[in-house]
Parts: sequence; structure tokens; C-alpha cells
Amino acid sequence: MRLLLAIMGVLLVAQPVGADAFEEHDYILNCSGCHRMDGSGSRAVPSLLAMPELNGKPGAREYWIQVPGAAQAPLSDARLAALMNWLVERFTEKRPKPEYTAQEVGQLRRNPLRDPIAKRNELRQAPYRRR
Amino acid sequence: MSRLDRWFEGMTRQSARRVSRRNWLSRFGGVLIGGAALPLLPVARAAEKHTVGEDGVKGREGDPTRCEYWRHCAIDGFLCSCCGGSHTACPPGTEMSPVTWIGTCRNPADGKDYIISYNDCCGKTFCGRCMCNRNEGERPLYHWYRNNDINWCGGAKSQSYSCSTAIVVKVAEEAQPEK
Repeated sequence: MRLLLAIMGVLLVAQPVGADAFEEHDYILNCSGCHRMDGSGSRAVPSLLAMPELNGKPGAREYWIQVPGAAQAPLSDARLAALMNWLVERFTEKRPKPEYTAQEVGQLRRNPLRDPIAKRNELRQAPYRRR
Repeated sequence: MSRLDRWFEGMTRQSARRVSRRNWLSRFGGVLIGGAALPLLPVARAAEKHTVGEDGVKGREGDPTRCEYWRHCAIDGFLCSCCGGSHTACPPGTEMSPVTWIGTCRNPADGKDYIISYNDCCGKTFCGRCMCNRNEGERPLYHWYRNNDINWCGGAKSQSYSCSTAIVVKVAEEAQPEK
């Protein structure tokens, strides 16, 4: 009986993790069509595998939300924030610190980039933030 | 060997004595028609639900050469299964584009929604057979993140579009919004 209760307890705790995880679903449906399943991109679309290059540079965190693909994705601010936390961790192996919130994402996507490619080149040449 | 011969001879003579030709004909006819009618029984239909397709997705395969096939719910193009390929493979001489239009479709066999990737096959002139333009979940061009009218062959070596596949990626967490 005790064992059964313990198993039920474990199942109850384990359940919500799978049920609420939309990150991979949202990635496949909203990003992978162009960036591809493995993030490697194509001729016209930048590779997400290059994200570590910008990680830690001032402005990169904001840039990743302001790029057209993220800012204009048909997702709520909360879902986009969750997706981007997951995506940054997947491609840079570091979870954003602090994590994106729906509020921050909402403000950034209302402030779109005029020229995303120029911004990326600018970030590439910028020095890393001193710690 | 002679034993088998004798046994067979005995059987033949016995059946010739016992069974009339008309009786045999009527029974044989019964087996033919009965066998053909068996798949119409509800038992046989229920068993079909448990068949598994070539890519491991459960459910009656249906006919991938038809526009009504469940995976084609968001497609816009010629079906590769009518063009020398299949719904998961490109015809010979074409290349599958790495960038692709993605949507979700409900599989009637298990009632689940699946993410479907409509990879285009590129490198030959357009196939011209089995045009299918269902576009469920698609939005007009000004809503370009949900529009499939761009040439997805942009990511392939050749830009000429030939036909479209419908590949199951995985089970969807939710159906595509705004169907």
C-alpha cells in the first residue's frame, strides 16, 4: 500500500513537467521551418549554432528577442519568454541570467530592429562584457 | 513416397464419392465471397486502427495520393506520392529542401494532432499531378509567419519546385491555432 502511494506520488509530481512544456513544440512550429530542427539555418537564414559567439556581449540578450523571427512569432509574451529561455540554453548551453520574463519580452518585441543584419554585425565586433 | 501417393489417392476418391460437383462449387463460391466480405466486418475495421504506417505513426494509412489524406491538411502543392516519390520521400532526381512549411493535422485514427513538415522536393520542373491546396491554419501574405506561398526551395541547391511531401515530425502539444 505504501509503495503504491509512493508510486502515485511520484506520478503526480512528474506529470506537470511534460504537460506544460510547449518550448520544443513552439520551436518546431515557429522556428525550425527556416532555422531547421538542429538550428543550423540555411543560406538565407542565420545559424543558431552561432549564438555562443554573441553570448555575454552587451545588447545580445535584447537582440535575440528583437530579431524578426522572435519578435513577430505568433506567440504570447509568456510563451515567447519560455521558448527563448529554452532556446538560449539549448544553443549556448547557458540558461539566460536572469531568465526572460513575459514583461521584458513584451517590451522588447514592441521595439523592433530597423536593420537586424547590421545590428548583428555590430554585436559581433563589440567586445565582450568585462566581469 | 508411395505412402503419400496412396494417402492422396484415398482422399481424392473419398471426396469424389462424397461431394457432388455442385456442392463443391457452392462451397468454393461461399469461400470466395465470404473472404471478400470479411474486411467489411466491424472487427476487421477495428483491427485496422492498430496498423502502423511506414514512419511509425499509428492509424489507417489511407491514400497518400489523395488530397483528403489526413496529413495533407495544411499542404499547398503537388503531392509527391503522385509524382514518382511518396509522402515521405522525394522523386528520383530531386532534392528535399532543408527549409520547410510546418503545420499540424489531426490523425483521425487516434484523435491526436501531429506536427507535419511539408518539405518541398526541388530540382525538376513542377510535377503537375495531384494539386492539393488545403492550407488549414494558413494566413494571408501580410501575416507572413503563417503563410506558405513562398518558394521553400530557397534553401535547396535548385530553386525549381517539383512537389511536396508530408512528413510527421512528432505529436503536437496543441493543435495549430486559428484553424
